[in-house]
Amino acid sequence: MSETVILAEGLTKFYGKQRGVVGLDMEVLQGEVFGFLGPNGAGKTTTIRLCLDFIRPTSGRVAVFGMDARQHACQVHMRTGYLPGDLSLYGNLTGGELLTYASHLRGGVDWGFVHDLATRLECNLSRPIRALSHGNRQKIGLIHAMMHGPELLVLDEPTSGLDPLMQQEFYRLVAELKAAGRTVFLSSHIMPEVERVCDRVGIIRDGELVVVESVQALKARALRHLEIHFSATVPPEVFSGIPGVRDVAVEDSVLRCTIVGTLDPVIKAAARFEVVNVISREPSLEEVFLAYYDRGDADAP
Amino acid sequence: MLRSVLLKSLRDQRRALLWWGTGLVALAVFTLLFYPSFRDMGSEMQKLAERMPEELLLLFAGESKDMTSPEGFLNSQLFVLMVPLLFMVFAIGMGSGAIAGEEERGTLELLLSNPVPRWRVAWEKFAATVLAVAILAFVFWVGLEVTSVGVGMEAGAGRMAEATLSAVLLALAFGALALAVGCATGSRGLSIGVSSAVGVAAYFLNALAPVVEVLQPYRKVSPFYYYMGADPLANGLNLVHASVLIGLVVVLLAAALITFERRDLAT
Ligand SMILES: Nc1ncnc2c1ncn2[C@@H]1O[C@H](COP(=O)(O)OP(=O)(O)OP(=O)(O)O)[C@@H](O)[C@H]1O
Ligand SMILES: [Mg+2]
Repeated sequence: MSETVILAEGLTKFYGKQRGVVGLDMEVLQGEVFGFLGPNGAGKTTTIRLCLDFIRPTSGRVAVFGMDARQHACQVHMRTGYLPGDLSLYGNLTGGELLTYASHLRGGVDWGFVHDLATRLECNLSRPIRALSHGNRQKIGLIHAMMHGPELLVLDEPTSGLDPLMQQEFYRLVAELKAAGRTVFLSSHIMPEVERVCDRVGIIRDGELVVVESVQALKARALRHLEIHFSATVPPEVFSGIPGVRDVAVEDSVLRCTIVGTLDPVIKAAARFEVVNVISREPSLEEVFLAYYDRGDADAP
Repeated sequence: MLRSVLLKSLRDQRRALLWWGTGLVALAVFTLLFYPSFRDMGSEMQKLAERMPEELLLLFAGESKDMTSPEGFLNSQLFVLMVPLLFMVFAIGMGSGAIAGEEERGTLELLLSNPVPRWRVAWEKFAATVLAVAILAFVFWVGLEVTSVGVGMEAGAGRMAEATLSAVLLALAFGALALAVGCATGSRGLSIGVSSAVGVAAYFLNALAPVVEVLQPYRKVSPFYYYMGADPLANGLNLVHASVLIGLVVVLLAAALITFERRDLAT
């Protein structure tokens, strides 16, 4: 049984009358990569800022490393690396100067490691931050969060602004951190990203945690849109009979359907005909939620 | 210069300190260069002054009766209005920028994600304000001292230092007010607005109290009274008055640290 790193109990935050999060119960375990998934305004940033004591709960509590986030903010920050979702850096400093400042506030870091990170993220530390592009600032924010080798990383939309190549590098970094036994708590809008890097996922909507689940379980229920182009018309019945396949529509020689879970039976069935093209589309977040709500219904796995 | 919040805050003021320092020295030098001709005009100046309404004189020249004496000249030309005003503008600017300014720029959260308590960030930034104002005051005083020797004015380096120090204490009280409003609200605009408004009101209250009867009982509420009321240039720094200003700084600083610790950071 691994230790609990973040524990939220009945965590509620209202900004005046505006709802932030409501009655959030959540646990992030040591050594896992926990993804926090939800649409805009769901309450991801609110939850993260509560964990780091930048804002205070209206009711409920959150503990990090078993310490109350409010009472022991400083000790929590000591062992945590944080990337804000809305990152602003000192424009008049260079990346290197910013990291030097942070390292002094932390009582020193391993500069070899910092330069390693900078090289891997292709981050220029000698230019003034104000002259950097959004993505390159994001990289400095990432290095700032990781530079002291913290036990816990709290990253609010870490890949926003990164190009696909850098996203891949970031995923590799997260995998390495996980291998080293570190805990990562990250928020995202993007289902495939979360599927790719996380062990468990919490889905939040309208300030409430809808579900916490392992990525495998989520994948098993994941919804996908499939479009198969054949060289000739195909009979829809072949596909509509397959379990987990919905919304089958054949138009001329094109089959469109929605699949819950594995694609395998559909592909096997399609193989009997001459296939010209296969197009698969990831579901939107909203559809992921719908898939979740459908669980209680007939086509549950 | 990036070793601590204090040093970084001073580093951020490098340019401002350079320009403000230059300006203050220029003010000291050019004002004092006028002294010899002012003194030689002597009685005419005095007559001119006597024909002006007393309120105006009090507002812009203070209570000095003899404007051609070194003390009268320095007070009326510099210490009544110009010096405290400039020091206050600088201190209010730094005090409001310390927390609220950084919060509005969005960099405060990143800074506080490091293991430094909020109170310590606010405290070090105020300490930086104290040092910056002290640096400016020192430069200004050197300018005064050197020029006064050059133009043969006998005001005494010690007395000028004491008057300048008194202005520093006054400015820091308003810097601490700006810090406190910024810490409590996170709004730089509000912080500057409140501190400036209080500053202007305090100035008028102290300056006009001697001739406006309704204001008289309230004169001692004004920090300006504790700055100039005992005429530090003529009589030296009044320790009781200085202590009142220092006490005000301490109270406002405490309020700043406490309110900042309690509230939510703005997004
Ligand atoms: N400072 C604030 N004052 C008032 N309301 C706020 C504040 N910050 C957040 N909110 C509200 O709280 C709710 C949750 O916002 P939050 O920023 O946590 O969402 P999020 O999940 O991070 O969204 P996004 O994906 O867009 O970053 C939103 O309805 C938002 O309008
Ligand atoms: Mg957010």
